[in-house]
Amino acid sequence: MLELQGLTRRYGDHLAVDEVGFAVPDGAMVGFVGGNGAGKTTTMRMVMGVLAPTAGTVLWQGRPVTAADRSRFGYMPEERGLYPKQPVLAQLTYLGQLHGMTATAARARSTELLERFGLGERLKDKLETLSLGNQQRAQIIASVLGDPVLLVLDEPFSGLDPAAVDQMSALLREYTARGVPVLFSSHQLDLVDRLCDAIVVLHQGRVVAQGTSEQLRATAPLRYRLTTTGDTGWVRGVPGVEVVDLDGPSALVQPADEQVAERLLVDAVARGGVREFSRVVPSLSEIYREVAVS
Amino acid sequence: MSTTREHPDVAPPQADRARVPDHPSVTPPRAPWTLVMAREIRVRLTDKTFVLGTVLTVVLLLGAMVVPALLGGGGTEYRVAVTDATGAALVERAAPAVSGAPSMSGQEEVTVLTEPVADRSAAEDAVVEGDADVALVGADGAWEVLSDGEPPLRLTSALADTVRAEALAANAEQAGTSMAELTAGTVLTTVDVGSQDGAMAEGMLFVVGLGFAMVFYIAALMFGMQIASSVVEEKQSRIVEILAAAIPVRHLLLGKVLGNTLMAVGQMALIVAAALVGLTFTDLDVALPGMAEALGWYLPFFLLGFLALACVWAAAGALASRTEDLQSTTMPLTMVLVVAIFGAINLDGVWREVASFVPVLSTLLMPMRILEGDVSWWEPALALALVAGFCALTILLGSRLYRRALLHTSGSLTWRRALRMGE
Repeated sequence: MLELQGLTRRYGDHLAVDEVGFAVPDGAMVGFVGGNGAGKTTTMRMVMGVLAPTAGTVLWQGRPVTAADRSRFGYMPEERGLYPKQPVLAQLTYLGQLHGMTATAARARSTELLERFGLGERLKDKLETLSLGNQQRAQIIASVLGDPVLLVLDEPFSGLDPAAVDQMSALLREYTARGVPVLFSSHQLDLVDRLCDAIVVLHQGRVVAQGTSEQLRATAPLRYRLTTTGDTGWVRGVPGVEVVDLDGPSALVQPADEQVAERLLVDAVARGGVREFSRVVPSLSEIYREVAVS
Repeated sequence: MSTTREHPDVAPPQADRARVPDHPSVTPPRAPWTLVMAREIRVRLTDKTFVLGTVLTVVLLLGAMVVPALLGGGGTEYRVAVTDATGAALVERAAPAVSGAPSMSGQEEVTVLTEPVADRSAAEDAVVEGDADVALVGADGAWEVLSDGEPPLRLTSALADTVRAEALAANAEQAGTSMAELTAGTVLTTVDVGSQDGAMAEGMLFVVGLGFAMVFYIAALMFGMQIASSVVEEKQSRIVEILAAAIPVRHLLLGKVLGNTLMAVGQMALIVAAALVGLTFTDLDVALPGMAEALGWYLPFFLLGFLALACVWAAAGALASRTEDLQSTTMPLTMVLVVAIFGAINLDGVWREVASFVPVLSTLLMPMRILEGDVSWWEPALALALVAGFCALTILLGSRLYRRALLHTSGSLTWRRALRMGE
């Protein structure tokens, strides 16, 4: 399990990351969301040790992380890059060795992954001769080499075509199935919603919300959509009901609790012409927008 | 980087491996710097420009020394036209004196041949036509050397000596004495007290010393620039963040510096070996034994001098963020090197002695002084200790700058700013 405790990074007067704390349990996939400049990359760099924290600690399996631990973390930095003039297989083998694999094992694993990502014919080609999409695939492989015990991926899905997104998701699921914790950041909230067990929302360097998507949804206000055949304006007069949006026959309402909601439905049925009365479950991006604004 | 191996005994790879059973590939890893070093060397050896350049240098060097020796056919040949047996006998007696004459570049082989001709006019023809270099005509008491223009000095002086000795011997005999009695006590012996076995001429010393200096200068600039550009290449391609996350930055630096140092020393050894092999084809190889001691000292001076600069070069590379910035971040270093090296070569007297203890300059000057043979054993030893200390200092400073600047990818840094920067 990876744990961050009070992690802080200051650049001069600017507080880029402010006491960030959360955990990535074994086998869990945690999505790290937040706008540009929220501090996601800075946080991930501190986890990987390429940036020293101003304060706070990173714990791996309950104790402060060491260089030896980090050599077995898989990392995809925000700024992508491999050796442009070196053959693909040769440099992946080298990176695997840097992560502690033997040359033979690193070559075998790299070949296996390259074949799986459809690059089996390009092993000896220089990286710069590959298409951008294929360079991205090589980059993905580079991040999971060396039998990682943790994956930290900064925007791993950005720039991927839909096929590569699916290949990448499948690969990540294989690692979580084996018990490897995965932390990744993304702007694609629907993807995060679909893949992640838990979400951490960062805003201006601080964690403003975290939990499973169910937990986050549970914190969202109770809302119902009511659609009738006539004008639904009467809902404004119902005590305990806040009208969020009203558009002729359709109204988005926020009752104080479930009892109020039930009374509202009884009222509506009594007036006749009810076409829809449904609980509105907010999407992750809606929750995100709300926590980010407040 | 704030973390070190604080709990090496509780590292969890065993537990992790049990949890991830289908990849039994993790074994006790090789020290990361050895991997980095191996990659640097591999990249250099597969770089066509580098390999071709090295091969070309060696071939040119060997060619420059071997080809003239082969074409020259080894030595000078003089042909002397003679009209009779007396003349031929005189020339034969003079011949050893001609061969023994010292030339600028050591002991040159000289052969003197006689060319029998009918009479004086035939001898004149032979000289004018170029069939003979000179002609010795006449008879005892009236010998003449005929030449077309200025005759070869050592040939005529040897002939003159022989003629004079013959005449003196004849005269002495007539006067009832002998040559030995006449010449007793006339010989002035010269003794070179500074000379040792295989000592070299002054001009030769300067050339060899300059050769040492140039090899170091070229290696320091060429491989230094190579270190800097290999650092910036990793920054520019952004792979540096992956590398820095996987292994400690000091391993990255160490591997890079050692890999390039090995290549520099290897290339230098190859060039020096080629030069030595080439030397055996020339008449200069008598100088070799005198160079052995200087060469023995040159190697550690080269190594430490190079290492002292290597980390500074790496820092210069880290300060840049693109190859284009390299020019400006390496300029101060290049300038200092050029000024120091050409300044050092032109030093004289006490200043030169002082400079031969200054780190990096000592790589140029100390082997030169050893060649000249005017140093006590402790002098190179002290200079070596000084450069070793300086080396430790630049490694410390260079690696600190490297670490700070390495992940600074937006724009190039100045030396001053990098020195003030926090981690």
